[in-house]
Amino acid sequence: MVKEIENENVEHGFAMIKFDGVSKVYKGNFPALESIDLEINNGEFISIVGQSGSGKSTMLKLIYAEEMPTAGEVYFDGKPLSRISKRKLPFHRRAIGTVFQDFKLLPRKTAFENVAYALEVAGAPNLEIEENVPQILDIVGLGDKMEKYPHQLSGGEQQKVAIARALVHTPMVIIADEPTGNLDPVSSLEIVQLLIRINELGTTVILASHDKDIVNKVNKRVLALDKGRIISDNAKGKYKIF
Amino acid sequence: MFLAIGRTSKEAVQNFFRNGWLSIATVSIMILFLYVLSVFVVIGFSANNILRNVEDKVNITIYFKPEVDENAILDIKSNLEGFNEVKSVDYISKNQALDDFKANNSDDPIILQSLDEIGSNPLLASLVVKANNPNQYQLIADYVGKAYFSDEVSRVNYGKNKEVIDKLNSIIATIRRIGISLGLFFGLVSLLISFNAIRITIYTHRQEVEIMRLVGASNTYIRLPFIFEGVIYGIVSAFISMLILFISVKFVTPYISTTVPSANLASFYWGNFGWLLFGQVIFGSLLGVVGSLIAMRKYLQV
Repeated sequence: MVKEIENENVEHGFAMIKFDGVSKVYKGNFPALESIDLEINNGEFISIVGQSGSGKSTMLKLIYAEEMPTAGEVYFDGKPLSRISKRKLPFHRRAIGTVFQDFKLLPRKTAFENVAYALEVAGAPNLEIEENVPQILDIVGLGDKMEKYPHQLSGGEQQKVAIARALVHTPMVIIADEPTGNLDPVSSLEIVQLLIRINELGTTVILASHDKDIVNKVNKRVLALDKGRIISDNAKGKYKIF
Repeated sequence: MFLAIGRTSKEAVQNFFRNGWLSIATVSIMILFLYVLSVFVVIGFSANNILRNVEDKVNITIYFKPEVDENAILDIKSNLEGFNEVKSVDYISKNQALDDFKANNSDDPIILQSLDEIGSNPLLASLVVKANNPNQYQLIADYVGKAYFSDEVSRVNYGKNKEVIDKLNSIIATIRRIGISLGLFFGLVSLLISFNAIRITIYTHRQEVEIMRLVGASNTYIRLPFIFEGVIYGIVSAFISMLILFISVKFVTPYISTTVPSANLASFYWGNFGWLLFGQVIFGSLLGVVGSLIAMRKYLQV
């Protein structure tokens, strides 16, 4: 496997992400999250489960700083996110790879260009882009479809492009928000297996899902949320039905 | 930095072509804006040309009594030339006046015959005074009436011209007022339409902007392709608008030249081709760039 996605230089076991008494209230709404305390260690694979509206997505948005907590503090790699200036925000985002239910691919770019874009914005040299992008697309199994546009790919393939894009700049953390929500069971399984492999190579993976089969397949730490609160946190958990 | 500019400009060109219909729609509306703007510029300048032409034909002619000799008239000429308001003074001697008169009436044998019967030259020497500005003729006429040489003056034909001059003055003022307000109105309307078209273009890209942010693109990096795209819109629209302007000028010129010979739109178009194109490119690009930047603010959360 390529060295780009191995984060061996990072020491395992320390808190990569820490929620310290975090609450989030959207204007005019009930709290989306209420006094959350949580540590996610480096190299962990954590599944966050819960019904829609339970606060999963909000939790993830706080990590990639799309939202700011109403109270408390989120730490990433030891740094409080509230201290990150708007100018430095893109650098924080480059340390995180994101995968979403709706893939969020740029429609006017080919698979290659979509993945390359993540490197281009970070100012990577052309040589590195030409070398790494095909390699990473090979890993997700799309080596022969690099020149296809998103609308020419199946849902599973689009999600693989999104994963390749999330991986290409060797992030410390991969955040996957319902990555299998739009996919058939076979594609879903492929995506989860990809995420597991990525985790085995040392990258922290945070998976939000309400798909029981998927979470059970992973068979790692499961955090259950309900109405903005943590109701269970099992190191070797199964998806529970509430 | 150069890497970013290179990449984003390449992306802008790509976007322009991959966007197909949206680019065509935006460009065609911007063409409308630039076309309206340049039509008013062409009309405005041509109207000014016509007016200047007519203004040039207005003058005050001072006729001197037959006994006044040429040197005295030339002294008066240089005296008049000393005034700021006076643009030019032309001396027309008795003999020249006769020659002009004969030339003007060469096809009327009765007049020429009666001239011969008189024997001597009945025409008067005159000075033709032109002012810098049509509303200064009154001033000059007043001066001539009270000047030291008023005794030597036979008559001043200003009275006849006065009405024409006054009318001309008010026509100029009206044309300018109507032209400016119409130009402003249409310019503003098409500016708003173009601005909206750009906003719609950006609106369709709002999700892309969101994705770019998530992938870790800085705001500048996200903006640059849109800025370059705005410039491309401006340049393409300017060239097409120039082409349409050329066609309309070519079509309209024959009709206008028959009624107003001094208004040659085609020659104005070619004479100012560079300026017209340059102005449109600048206006178009500015519109594209500023429009995109304003429309993007919302999605960049700045």
